[in-house]
Amino acid sequence: MVSRTTAAFIALTALFGMASAAHAFDEAKYPDLSGLWHRIGPDRWDGASNRDAPLTPEYRAIHEKVRKNEAGNMIADPMLTCQAPGMPRVMQAYAPLEFIVTPDTTHILIENIHDSRRIHTDGRPWPGEADPSFRGLSIGQWQDSDGDGRSDTLVVETRHFQGPRYFDGSGLPLHQDNNTVIRERIFLDKSNQDILVDEITVTDGALTKPWTVTKTYRRDRTPVVNHRETVCADHSNHVAIGEEMYVVGPDGNLAPTRPGQSAPDLRYFPR
Amino acid sequence: MLLRRSAIAGALAAALCAACTVAFAADDSKYPEWRGQWRRPPGVGIQWDPTKALGPAQQAPLTSEYQKVFEASMADQRAGGQGGDPTYTCIPPGMPRAMTVVFPMDIIILPEATYIIIEYSNQVRRIYTDGRDWPKEAEPAFLGYSIGKWVDENGDGKYDVLEVETRGMKGPRSFDASGLPLHVDNDTVVKERIYLDKSNRDVLIDEVTTIDKALTKPWTVTKKYVRETKNVMWFEYNCTENNRHVQIGKDNFYVSADGFLMPVRKGQAPPDLKYFKDAQP
Repeated sequence: MVSRTTAAFIALTALFGMASAAHAFDEAKYPDLSGLWHRIGPDRWDGASNRDAPLTPEYRAIHEKVRKNEAGNMIADPMLTCQAPGMPRVMQAYAPLEFIVTPDTTHILIENIHDSRRIHTDGRPWPGEADPSFRGLSIGQWQDSDGDGRSDTLVVETRHFQGPRYFDGSGLPLHQDNNTVIRERIFLDKSNQDILVDEITVTDGALTKPWTVTKTYRRDRTPVVNHRETVCADHSNHVAIGEEMYVVGPDGNLAPTRPGQSAPDLRYFPR
Repeated sequence: MLLRRSAIAGALAAALCAACTVAFAADDSKYPEWRGQWRRPPGVGIQWDPTKALGPAQQAPLTSEYQKVFEASMADQRAGGQGGDPTYTCIPPGMPRAMTVVFPMDIIILPEATYIIIEYSNQVRRIYTDGRDWPKEAEPAFLGYSIGKWVDENGDGKYDVLEVETRGMKGPRSFDASGLPLHVDNDTVVKERIYLDKSNRDVLIDEVTTIDKALTKPWTVTKKYVRETKNVMWFEYNCTENNRHVQIGKDNFYVSADGFLMPVRKGQAPPDLKYFKDAQP
């Protein structure tokens, strides 16, 4: 029985010699997004200084407060305590993007915290209700922008968020009402098929107008022997207690994160 | 040659998909149809062997040394601690526990790899089916390194069983929330046979055999999952969101609803605050 199974496997493997050489998805219909995609540029939403961020006065003041750490460093960057960055920040690609394109869904796998995205391309309408989430609900549509019979641009809209979310590690905020709408156009650079472009337009109550930023990613075609597993909780040494954040030192003891920080209140420990 | 192959593959794919815009990306005629959202069957808990209750009733073939580890874990949990369950700090369960599928999973079959995306703790298993050998060096991972092989068991020309072997794990891991332990050497080997139930194509079966030095013999448990295909919605589970458990050094504590550190066990000492000036006597 084993030898029959093995023989069948070998026969099928031979049959698949051709298929396995082709890329996984339908190359005739979709662009080749294989490989791993690394962000080009620094961890700032606009790739520079965010100077032109069209924040409302209210949210500009909130950003300043976060930047100056006036509220304590608890809210400066939720990623320090392994909180999901959510959309649009996941497109900062804190780990390389891996695309899996199927007709129903385009998956963007990102080994960071909980960054992986599922973009539905099955033609579904927006649901009447959806559980809010940090990454939101994404509905996309493949478009053949140059009419050559092959999809080249993934147009995505994402809604139904929860927060808090920030654009990047600088604490640039999104509105706490979480009514963000994000529209993206994702496509390969026509002059360089190893550059991926994501034009991201964020419409949010923290902004005076929709803000479009173009992110680019560079393809690494090196065959991946081992997709690296990233587990934030396995290496994070930050501990949040109430509104304060502390670190656990190499000796396992709690330590302050800023000069003069008070020790945590131990009122619930018997004296 | 490569161009010709691509052209043929493309033509075949185009012909196959001409009438089926929602066809799966991989070759439908050769691979089983595992699309959809897979969940634990109704009423099935999160214990390792789903046919037995959580705890001692699992009758895991533990060595005497690891039986004591298990009993210590349960005793600590009775006292309010987390015992040997490392997931309270949002460390993922890893293999084999990931296949308990606490929250739903979807499976994407591509010729070179099968992806199992599990919402619980954002676990993405990549089961390489491209014929590769074990890498000489691989960074240990909670999910380990998985190599699979498709098998056409009934000889009908279509694959029906995915055989998987997983090695290269890291710890800490346990079989389930009771702290049922795996060996600290992390030399676990997990072998799986994954296939659809012949009598119900909306039931997926995973026969999971764990070989580990905490066990006196290989331990095989059969997991089942049921498929949801209509109006599938995916929710997001973020373990770290509102997780009140914190670990300081080797001890675990809890943050109260009003934001203060508190003990989890009776008589538990507070953490040493020697690095805080205002806590000095």
